[in-house]
Amino acid sequence: MIKILVNRTQPSKAEIAKRQDFNYILSALPKKNLLYSPWFYGAIGFSSLAGLFLFLLAY
Amino acid sequence: MILIERAKQNPAHFAPLYKKYHDAIFRYVFKRVDEEEAAYDITSCVFVKAIINLPKYEYRGVPFSSWLFRIAKSELYQSFRDKKAKRTISIDSVQIGRVMEEFSIDENEHKREILLKVLPLLKDKQLQLIEMRFFEKRSFREMGEILELTENNAKVKTFRALIKLKALYAQHNPLK
Repeated sequence: MIKILVNRTQPSKAEIAKRQDFNYILSALPKKNLLYSPWFYGAIGFSSLAGLFLFLLAY
Repeated sequence: MILIERAKQNPAHFAPLYKKYHDAIFRYVFKRVDEEEAAYDITSCVFVKAIINLPKYEYRGVPFSSWLFRIAKSELYQSFRDKKAKRTISIDSVQIGRVMEEFSIDENEHKREILLKVLPLLKDKQLQLIEMRFFEKRSFREMGEILELTENNAKVKTFRALIKLKALYAQHNPLK
């Protein structure tokens, strides 16, 4: 059932502004998963190639 | 547009947009829920969703504010479904008078009560149109942008909603 509120007191502009919290918004953002980052694969790929290269060099 | 492009690169740059639109989004939500705290929570969710979806935002004639109101609308309905908030219509006496004026009815306490009784009987989409047009004084263009309708369609649908409201009013008014 829909509720009807007549002549409801609205919070003032200052009260609403006081409740702004951009840090909370940023903290609520989902964290980026490293596995989905191309940088992760770039780093893994680079170190694998470097490891292989060093292995071949050693033997 | 520069602010939006900067925010797309880094969510921390969304701060000026948050400051600019927080008040308007909060008021939009507040009018539609019964509890102030729930309105603050839903407003926060709107901005979190906005930042997540910002890379998809492209300017195609719809202002950024209307895009935010669309997110607010969907967040509101999500919270009604989750029962985190109760659908509410916040209305003041002046706005009731405006609707009665549209009906060409003389305003009195009894007639006002009937109108308030029949308002929730409208379908939700019709109620949204009445709310935006008469209680929030929005233009048909803005209404269309928020409700994803053309300006003309918003006008036609509001007119139909008004006819429906008038019919419901007549049905419930024993002193016709």
